[in-house]
Amino acid sequence: MGCEVRVVFFAAAKELVGCREASLSVPSRLSFSELKDILLEKYEALKILESNFILAKNQEYLDFEGDALVVFKSGDELAVIPPISGG
Amino acid sequence: MKDDYAMAHLSNAEVARYGRQLILEDFAVKGQLALKNASVLIVGCGGLGCPTASYLSAAGVGILGLVDYDCVEINNLHRQVLHDEEKVGMNKALSIAASLKKQVLNSLIETRTHEILLNKDNAMGVISTYDIVVDCSDNVPTRYLLNDACVLLNKPLVSGSALRYDGQLTVYHSDGGPCYRCIFPKPPPPYTVANCSDGGVLGMVPGIIGTLQALEVVKLLTKTGDTLRGKLMIFDGASSSFRKIKLRERREDCSVCGRCPTITELQDYELLCGASANDKDADVDLLDEFDRVEVKEYKRIVDVSSPHILLDVRPKAEVSICVIPGSINLPFNSLTRQVCDESYVGQISERCVECNSSPDQPLPVFVVCRRGNDSQIVVETLKKTLEQLPVVVKDLKGGLHAWASDVDPEFPVY
Ligand SMILES: [Zn+2]
Repeated sequence: MGCEVRVVFFAAAKELVGCREASLSVPSRLSFSELKDILLEKYEALKILESNFILAKNQEYLDFEGDALVVFKSGDELAVIPPISGG
Repeated sequence: MKDDYAMAHLSNAEVARYGRQLILEDFAVKGQLALKNASVLIVGCGGLGCPTASYLSAAGVGILGLVDYDCVEINNLHRQVLHDEEKVGMNKALSIAASLKKQVLNSLIETRTHEILLNKDNAMGVISTYDIVVDCSDNVPTRYLLNDACVLLNKPLVSGSALRYDGQLTVYHSDGGPCYRCIFPKPPPPYTVANCSDGGVLGMVPGIIGTLQALEVVKLLTKTGDTLRGKLMIFDGASSSFRKIKLRERREDCSVCGRCPTITELQDYELLCGASANDKDADVDLLDEFDRVEVKEYKRIVDVSSPHILLDVRPKAEVSICVIPGSINLPFNSLTRQVCDESYVGQISERCVECNSSPDQPLPVFVVCRRGNDSQIVVETLKKTLEQLPVVVKDLKGGLHAWASDVDPEFPVY
């Protein structure tokens, strides 16, 4: 079973992808690394930031350790957040 | 030296000055005394450091440390609101200290200036004498340095950052919460990191984030409210929205704050991040001299109307500031490292026909940008994409900055 999630890009991710929001089809149950693969396949430009952004589902950090399971339902929000360092 | 009695009581002058926060139920006299007895180190006296220093000084933090090695420039003033025209060229830490004093923002507190670039050799000594560190810096190496130093010295780190319309804010290594490395274990590739000088920044964005950093400091010191420990606040100025992301707990295997840390002393952070600990651009030196031309030489080519093409590879917003007449705009994206439009090949091909250029007499194509860095990358690209055309591609050395200093003193510099 798949579902549509709303992806929100922040900072450099927004610059790379060229938009602030998009829709992404994902399986409703998948591992963190599978999720990342799907994201990077659809948004290849993000590959240069591959190990430098965090992902948050509905404003909650998704742990990249091990093969943690991520469960989605349609309408969930997935945020792609690289750090900003300017000041 | 303040005596014990003074540190445990508020004077009439203090009661009069801080009355409006003293009557807050949670804050009260104990809150004010906590600020009075505290020392806070602000690292970076720029867009974030100015509002942080203003509000912490106004609120009555007893000792305010100010770190910055850099001097005030005119292009700082749109966002670094404690500096002014008369202080251009002055050290930024001294400038803030002078502003706080001059405006008598607070005659009851003490400021200490550190006119240094923090590094692995001096950071521990400076930081160890303060209770809380506020990261108002503008570069990645300093962010990792402050994180590691704060973990090693067990100080909370109030971290803020801003670029373009975006801001981020959190509190690291506080009350068992995660540190910067727990969340971002690896520094990003240097060329993906935009600074305010290249990416731009709207002044109010660091203004808002710096003000929130001061608020976090006050809550930490007075033990009131909930801090952003374990939460990342994201501000999007373009849509005026705040989002609070719940972060993970401290990472058991974190290389600095974990159970068995591998980092037990400060490292060389410029080496770790492959970047220098400032927000200045390093000069790129990609090309051979053969592939480059001095701006004065280019001026002679223009003066004798010798056929050529000038490609300006800056983003559109920058082209609207100033431009060398007759140039073609071909925006280069420094993040994706690609030119944004492929139609230029056809355009250049047409010009070759118009100018009767041939392999023996190739048409010169000059590439210019703001400082002469991106233009070198584009020259390398064009040498491949234009391989089939009778052209010779060259970089305009030093870009528009060189044009302004060596050819046209009236040309605007940004
Ligand atoms: Zn950590």
